Amino acid sequence: MLKNHPTLTYIAGRASWYVVTFFVAITVNFFLPRLGDANPVDTIMAKVSEGLDATSAKAKEEAYLKEFDLVEVEPSGKVKRDAQGRPVRTSLGHQFINYLGMSVRLDLGSSILQHPKRVSEIIKAALPWTLALQLPTIVLGWLIGNGLGALAAYRRGVFDKLMYPLALLASAIPAFCFGMLLVYVFGIRLEWFPAVGGYDDGLTPELSFSFFRSASYYYVLPFFSVFSIVVGGQAIGMRSMCIYELGTDYVKYAKLLGISESKILLYMFRNAMLPQLTGLALALGSMVAGALIAEMIFSYPGLGMAVLTAIQGNDYPLISGCTLLVTVCVLCANFSVDVLVGFLDPRIRAARQTGN
Amino acid sequence: MIETRLAHHSDASCSTNSARTRASAKRGARILAFGLLLLALADCRPKRAKEDEKGSVFPRAETFYLGGRQWGEPSTFNPIGTPGWPISTMNLLYETLLLYNSLDGRMQPLLAESYAVHDASVEVTLNPAARWNDGRPVSGGDVTFTFGLGQKFKSLNIAPIWQYLSSVRAYDKDGRVATDANIGQDYPRRVVFELNPERKNPLVVLDALQAQIIVPRHVIEPLLAERDNNLDEFKKLKFEQGAVSSGPYRLFSSSSEKIAVVRDDGYWGNAALHGGKKPAPKYIVHPLYKSNDAFSVALRQGRLDISTTFVPRIWLKAEKGVRSWLDREPYFLSSSIPMLLVNHKRAPLMDVHLRRAMAFAINYNDIRELSVSGYSEPLRPGIILPFGLERRFFSEEDAKKYGTWFDPERAKAELAAGGYSAVFGPRGELVETRDRDGKRVPTLYVKSPTGWTDWESIVRIAVKSMRGAGIDVRERFVETSVFWNALYEGDFDLIMHTPSTQPSPSKPWSRFEALLTSRDFVPLGQRMYKNIGRFNDPHAPGYEPRIDKLLALIPTLTDEGARLGAYRELNAIFMREQPYLPLVYRPDTFYEFSIKHWSNLPSAENPYLPPLIPGDRLGTNMLWAITPVSN
Repeated sequence: MLKNHPTLTYIAGRASWYVVTFFVAITVNFFLPRLGDANPVDTIMAKVSEGLDATSAKAKEEAYLKEFDLVEVEPSGKVKRDAQGRPVRTSLGHQFINYLGMSVRLDLGSSILQHPKRVSEIIKAALPWTLALQLPTIVLGWLIGNGLGALAAYRRGVFDKLMYPLALLASAIPAFCFGMLLVYVFGIRLEWFPAVGGYDDGLTPELSFSFFRSASYYYVLPFFSVFSIVVGGQAIGMRSMCIYELGTDYVKYAKLLGISESKILLYMFRNAMLPQLTGLALALGSMVAGALIAEMIFSYPGLGMAVLTAIQGNDYPLISGCTLLVTVCVLCANFSVDVLVGFLDPRIRAARQTGN
Repeated sequence: MIETRLAHHSDASCSTNSARTRASAKRGARILAFGLLLLALADCRPKRAKEDEKGSVFPRAETFYLGGRQWGEPSTFNPIGTPGWPISTMNLLYETLLLYNSLDGRMQPLLAESYAVHDASVEVTLNPAARWNDGRPVSGGDVTFTFGLGQKFKSLNIAPIWQYLSSVRAYDKDGRVATDANIGQDYPRRVVFELNPERKNPLVVLDALQAQIIVPRHVIEPLLAERDNNLDEFKKLKFEQGAVSSGPYRLFSSSSEKIAVVRDDGYWGNAALHGGKKPAPKYIVHPLYKSNDAFSVALRQGRLDISTTFVPRIWLKAEKGVRSWLDREPYFLSSSIPMLLVNHKRAPLMDVHLRRAMAFAINYNDIRELSVSGYSEPLRPGIILPFGLERRFFSEEDAKKYGTWFDPERAKAELAAGGYSAVFGPRGELVETRDRDGKRVPTLYVKSPTGWTDWESIVRIAVKSMRGAGIDVRERFVETSVFWNALYEGDFDLIMHTPSTQPSPSKPWSRFEALLTSRDFVPLGQRMYKNIGRFNDPHAPGYEPRIDKLLALIPTLTDEGARLGAYRELNAIFMREQPYLPLVYRPDTFYEFSIKHWSNLPSAENPYLPPLIPGDRLGTNMLWAITPVSN
């Protein structure tokens, strides 16, 4: 039946690849954090072991290992021990099967370092901030960046000569550097904008005008720290794409025909946009990982810091939960672009039809 | 500055450019410029009107902002779990029996109105006014229950105290032991901690009395019983709202951005301990910023009133109203000694000549000036602090006789005495160190967590100066989680560590114990939490039993002269053997405050309390003394 529907075949083909990719990705997500030397209990023990004697420290460590399912437990509820009396660690294979089962059920388990908090709770609290910071910066940055890039390529002249180095600078300046500069100049020296936090310390998040006002005021610096970089990067990419397009026959032909400039620009934009669209999808997919640098510099709420501390402390469930989220989002975004490009790009459309 | 200049240029050039180009582009550029201008204006607008506090949940004049005790949202407020601020640091929600003042070494009353140390026991009498916030009295039953948890559950932090105790009993007013049946009815107030005769140590019991929060038995016990006394299940309770506690504040809200507590106006201690006064701040808020720098910025902007974070070059912040304990070097009151632990099970580090050579080689003054912003008194030999309360135990004479200090010549002499020779390259760089037999000594690595910048800098300076003296050492910075594992299992040559940091009644004994005890000695690969470098192995031929004897003796001494003698002897052994390499002095917690919104905070000029923030042991008492700055 599928044979008769080239579009469906195309989508099904892509989808099956994505399923395979998904399983490879979650396998990597599982094993990578566990390859290291340390385990999360060490990190916890370091915090709580001051003043403990050997017996209590051992009891405490085993209590944690048991709690996090990192050791084998006998049916009686006691920790299983080897000949030397040391607890038997749960095998990686066993852990992996548990993990796969949970991933398929979308159960992320509970965090180790923030025990007994659920991973889903942590993500739920941080995700809105991350999205609020990332989505507008990426989408707006993408639109404005591409617009500027196309304009620069088409206009050339002084506009291009100024725009290009500026865009290069914006995209090449390290995010942390630019962020710190913003904090220093506008937050500390001029005191125009607050330097740290997501909203006024005197408020709590709620649906009120004062909270919204405060949050937007605190939003400015983190926004620009990410935005300018996105704009710069996109503008450079779009500019080169457009310059390439300008040399193509269809543009020359259109010019000879006397078609209006804005129309030519539109044609060009549509063709040059395709690779940029893929870039946008990737950016949108991976944005859930958080803007770590902006979060750190501005102490802005979000997922990035949660991911970082999880990685530093080997908090396996939280790492896996976040990477799972990123994996799913990146794959979904890519998949939709694949499908979309399939419709937008006449070349792919044509290839599909001739293929049948 | 660069950014504004660039923006300015681009604006100007845009307009000149557009003048030259065709109409459509001109229009586009204008719209763009106008849009950007609008955006900038829109962004600038609200801030001008920001200072008014409409809609503020926490009015500035009634809110005290503090920082540095909590990183990330606490996962639980369960007093028996692993709670975060404010429970972890005590006395805002749950309270201890006593409060220790590290300035004068005295205990101040809290839940207990008095205490006494007897030959075989330590006794406390509870304040008759002490109440839980549900109105029930804080009784001897609550105290025996709290300490009893440590006997039942070995993984709790209160468990180790039971090595030093044989029983904790509550007595009623007739002097009878209060049994389970009559606890809560005739309300016993006297609690006796019987010392374990095998390991008599009133010091650690006093430590526990000022560090252990008392939990309400009538709430916790039934909850535990419902869960068949399964601690893991119990720990899943988060105690977020409406928890029964005895302290002056209650939990107000908690999110990933801040934790807030609100004053409990019915607090028993207002009348019983503070002459009827209420704490000045209605709210105490701990914002959860994500880096030290953020706390530092918030402090200088007056958004934060007090912080325990590291603020570099604090003297530069004075004009912004930021103060520290002292207004001149060393700015803070030190109480701990970061040091290099030496692995005594790895050759050639068991050689005292090599260890002493290292101790003579390190430039401590560089460390003090460059790594810790000068926040340290000059380092003296041994591990007794030569200032503050411990000064009385410090012997200048012994320090001169046995001690080590920065002296490269003596370092070389010690190396020579141990038969070591150093091979330097043509540019004066160390090539290798050779031992008595002319064999190359393998490079020794100093481990430290990566990203702990102050420690990284300390290690770099120590390594540089040791290499200069001819000792082949190198730094090795490792992931934090790997670091802890390496530390406890003894997987290191040399490693950074700060033993036993909190000022407490047992200092300096507990510092000696943490570094020198041979009790619970295990081989490398198994975990040791004290004497981590495995010095003075009790099963090895050269075992020095005198050290463990002194460690057991000191806590039982009541005569000041005898105590002084014992400390002096122990410190002299440390100096002679140099088992570890102390590097610098540091405060247990930093203490910086802003004078913008609150006044009368304790400082060296106004030392009515030690440098502790509210909600950190005795520091809580400042809440009754501070006043809002009116403007």
